[in-house]
Amino acid sequence: MDPISAAQIKTEVKKFWDAFASKSKSGFQDLYSPTATVFSADGRRSEPGRLMWVRREREFFGPKSSVGAKVGEIVVQVLGPNLAVAAYPFHFSVIRSLPNGSRVQIEVPFGRATQIFQLDEQGAFRIIHEHLSSAEPVAPKELPAEIAPSGAR
Amino acid sequence: MELISADKVRAEIDRFWLILSGKSHDKLEDLYAADGIVFTGKAKRPEPAMLAIARRARRAPASASTMAEVGTLELQITGDVAVASYTYKYQEEKMSSGGRSQRNTLYGRATQVFQTDRKGAVKIVHEHLSAAVAPDEGAAKPK
Repeated sequence: MDPISAAQIKTEVKKFWDAFASKSKSGFQDLYSPTATVFSADGRRSEPGRLMWVRREREFFGPKSSVGAKVGEIVVQVLGPNLAVAAYPFHFSVIRSLPNGSRVQIEVPFGRATQIFQLDEQGAFRIIHEHLSSAEPVAPKELPAEIAPSGAR
Repeated sequence: MELISADKVRAEIDRFWLILSGKSHDKLEDLYAADGIVFTGKAKRPEPAMLAIARRARRAPASASTMAEVGTLELQITGDVAVASYTYKYQEEKMSSGGRSQRNTLYGRATQVFQTDRKGAVKIVHEHLSAAVAPDEGAAKPK
């Protein structure tokens, strides 16, 4: 088996943010292992990847939501022939739909990501664990319901 | 390649928190691989573990009272690598020129990736510590 390269992992990270920003549900889900665990940026405990998909689809992938991100330098640690860790900072801009129908705008200028990728038997990389956080406290700003999203970066 | 065991990982996590809460004289740097990478505290980007440990040692107050409580551990093991994720609570009370102050992290989240090294020792190769809610900081309550 060929060793994993840092370039491959950086491509996977780009795929992740492209799928997130373009609200590609299938592209997004395909990036995760069915048994993945995730610490979302504001989650008090880890949650199964499948639960996270449902929540992110509801909150971020709807017509009134928007997602944008600018990824910083990615540090890749290759731990074996089929396992690697990506760690990087990111700037996250999002308009999120809440279960009560309201929307909030969130700016995370100092986001931090750890994503652990495993090469599966089909030769595809899957995230088996993800930890997103912010280096600084984040203050969501409630948006008026009638104003359409302006398209966050 | 020596496989990693869940028991060894649990023991290393216990050791990590005992050191951090001042209940063990083991050295924190002994827990990490020389090329380990970490996200800790308010750091805005990943950094070498040894750098973060050195900074922590410089800033650590001489007199601090600390307490740590670890939640349920989730482990994913692949060969010689284990991915551990869990929640924690961490309380620190210290004396400074401004008096007694405290910092409570109630919703701490930890990801620690362990790998067995060539000598068979289990080391942290990657760590991400964060808080879902900003730590509660302020003057310590009178005892």
